[in-house]
Amino acid sequence: MNKKAKMLPAMMLTLALVLGGCGGNAAKNSPSDTPSAASGNQETSAAGWTGTITMYAQVYTPNSKNITGLKDQQMLQTVADEYEKTHPGIKIEFVDEEYKDYTQTIRVKAAAGELFDVFWGQWEELNNTFPKGIAEDLTEYLNKPNPYIADKPAWKDAMNETVVNETVSPDGKIYNINGDYVATAFFYNKDLFEQAGITEAPKSWAELIDTSKKLQAAGIVPMSQAPDYGWFQRHFLSDFFSKEFETISGYDKKPGISSLDQSVAISKGLLSTKDERFMGWWPMFKELTDTWKKDYLTADPGVAANSARNDFLAGKTAIMYDGSWLPENAKDANINFELASFNFPVLTAADTAHTTGHDTSGAVGGPNAAFQFAIATEQANASMKEEGKKEAVLDWLQFLGTPANVEKVVNEHGTFVPTWPGTKPNESMADLASQASKELKAIGVGGSSPNLSKNLQRIFGLYLSGNMDFDKAQQSVQKELDTAIKEYETKNNTDYSQY
Amino acid sequence: MKIIDKFKGSLTGYAFILPTFIFLIWFMYFPVYQALSGAFTNWDGFNPPQFIGLDNFERMLTDEVLSQSTVNALIWIVFSIALAVIPPFLVAELIFHVKNLRAQYIYRTLFVVPIVIPGIVTVLLWRFLYEGDGAINRILEMIGLGSLQQLWLGDPNIALYSIILMGFPWISAFNMLIFYSGLQGIPQEVIEAAKLEGATGWKRVFKLDIPLSFPQFRLIVILSLIGSLQNIIPPLIMTNGGPGYSTYVPILHMYNVSTVNGEFGYGMAIALVMFIIILLFTILNMKLIKSES
Repeated sequence: MNKKAKMLPAMMLTLALVLGGCGGNAAKNSPSDTPSAASGNQETSAAGWTGTITMYAQVYTPNSKNITGLKDQQMLQTVADEYEKTHPGIKIEFVDEEYKDYTQTIRVKAAAGELFDVFWGQWEELNNTFPKGIAEDLTEYLNKPNPYIADKPAWKDAMNETVVNETVSPDGKIYNINGDYVATAFFYNKDLFEQAGITEAPKSWAELIDTSKKLQAAGIVPMSQAPDYGWFQRHFLSDFFSKEFETISGYDKKPGISSLDQSVAISKGLLSTKDERFMGWWPMFKELTDTWKKDYLTADPGVAANSARNDFLAGKTAIMYDGSWLPENAKDANINFELASFNFPVLTAADTAHTTGHDTSGAVGGPNAAFQFAIATEQANASMKEEGKKEAVLDWLQFLGTPANVEKVVNEHGTFVPTWPGTKPNESMADLASQASKELKAIGVGGSSPNLSKNLQRIFGLYLSGNMDFDKAQQSVQKELDTAIKEYETKNNTDYSQY
Repeated sequence: MKIIDKFKGSLTGYAFILPTFIFLIWFMYFPVYQALSGAFTNWDGFNPPQFIGLDNFERMLTDEVLSQSTVNALIWIVFSIALAVIPPFLVAELIFHVKNLRAQYIYRTLFVVPIVIPGIVTVLLWRFLYEGDGAINRILEMIGLGSLQQLWLGDPNIALYSIILMGFPWISAFNMLIFYSGLQGIPQEVIEAAKLEGATGWKRVFKLDIPLSFPQFRLIVILSLIGSLQNIIPPLIMTNGGPGYSTYVPILHMYNVSTVNGEFGYGMAIALVMFIIILLFTILNMKLIKSES
């Protein structure tokens, strides 16, 4: 007994040490109808609640001193000032912090009941990764009029319909408003192209391979980055399965491909290795990555992104596949070469038998940028229990969530494209914005479980680097898919046989 | 009555230590209790936990990532122990045999000074060194050994060893000082007697220094073993467990299932099993130290 008592502190301390060891926020960037602020929901604040609304706006944070890479932005502050003017007693306070692990930050703050009133929450994370119950279900409010949008019977009528439908949760709820679009493209160093005697950007897959080989032959590194499975699968699968898009997106009886659609398609053997198209692009993609510098092939894209981008901006590599934020990064880095871009090419029968010839250049980016704002529930934010506060916060979100404000805020930042009907992108984004104007018909997997994408990325990296053969990769991928849909089934009480 | 009087007399003392105990219980013991009880639940870290009995532990038995992580951890342990023991002991021997006491002090200090560099800085530095065009590959190129260049962190066959072997020349100042003090503790008459018997040079190291430093060896072996099981920073920062799962270790798995997947219950179950393993080693350590003392 005595001995045990003596050992108890050691035991406890050991456990504390074990547990103690375990305890960037880069987003994946005026219409004629100016909102009538006067017609706003002033009754809300008049209903009694006054105070400060906290908001974490990620890259749209105004007057930021702590978030890397933000220019001197003020638009969101201007919008907030307008709101405060018409809503005495309400103050909008923007959180100026950079969170290296945002998901964990949200978890911890929500668990402590200290989440921001309005917070940046990407739809996929709100639907699949964050705990259920941290964000208010906005569906009801999207179906009602927004007092700041004069001519729409419902708030969602002012939004991009496909985005709204595609970002719905497995249980049919909408947790955020989503106003911008990120585009992706191959950016290239024109000077290095000229050095290799290449005068034009590649227009087809074959030309892309050929260009890479020419660069290599000239002693220039064509590309060097972590090949993001989540991104590239969407280009290829959206093409190969384009004829099945209606089938896949129709399982949940709503437009767009939700995580439920993905899970059902996997369970039916459509988006799975049982269909040869699902991994039919891996060997042809390997042909491209065989020309890349091998450093980052097996790396986690999140870990390697900055190093790879720095290599490109320093002129060490000729091409980089990246998001529409890259031109801004290039300006900030004062690059000494001419930057240009080309879209992911349309595949032809000469490239692969699986192609349908569908243009999938816009399939990667989509509604995964920074104008994605959710409202904390009272479980995640104790101050939301204050009478009238939830209504006041919602009113602020409605004021912010108008086409005019979406356009102003998104365009000031300059790396994303506003998506709501009637909004116009910046001139500088015109080329990339053409992707956003295409119908969103992106197909991919990853929504069935929080770690499916990460695990597929690991297998993808091992295959591309030659550390795993195709058959083994295929088996491993199928195993991950099976595990993920089983997890989805358990978590959401889904019966796949119903579909 | 006497007992009550005695207790009254001690009240002041208890009042002084009470805040410490309150904080200790609140910040140390309560989280431990939470973790122990959480291991039997399905908990996302936010909503109320649901009791699921031994499900988490059953899942651990079929968790392939955990299996691979455990194998990696065992490899890590073996190497960690070797690196924690051999280089520091050799350096301690060298310093101990320096004739000039002032020079001994200077060498000792030189080996201890790097302790002030935070561990994370070392990890980041080595990540740069290991990069494809990092210092290691460049040096190999410069000295005509370009054929030995590797993707140190990108090749699943060597990434784990690259992480384990970072920190060359692997002289842990703490371990070196433990060995050094052990050597200082060898009685002078024993050393003189051994000299007369002809035990000099390596013979003396093997026949005298090592056997008489067994308590230090045991202590460092146990501490290294425990330390390597808790070592999350290098794989997390350098490779996040990749390529594939080649540098995944149980504690990283625990961290990822908890913070990335939001499966805190399962993470706690892994923590509990690790706690039991580490506890066993701690008990063993205590027994060994006790037996030596």
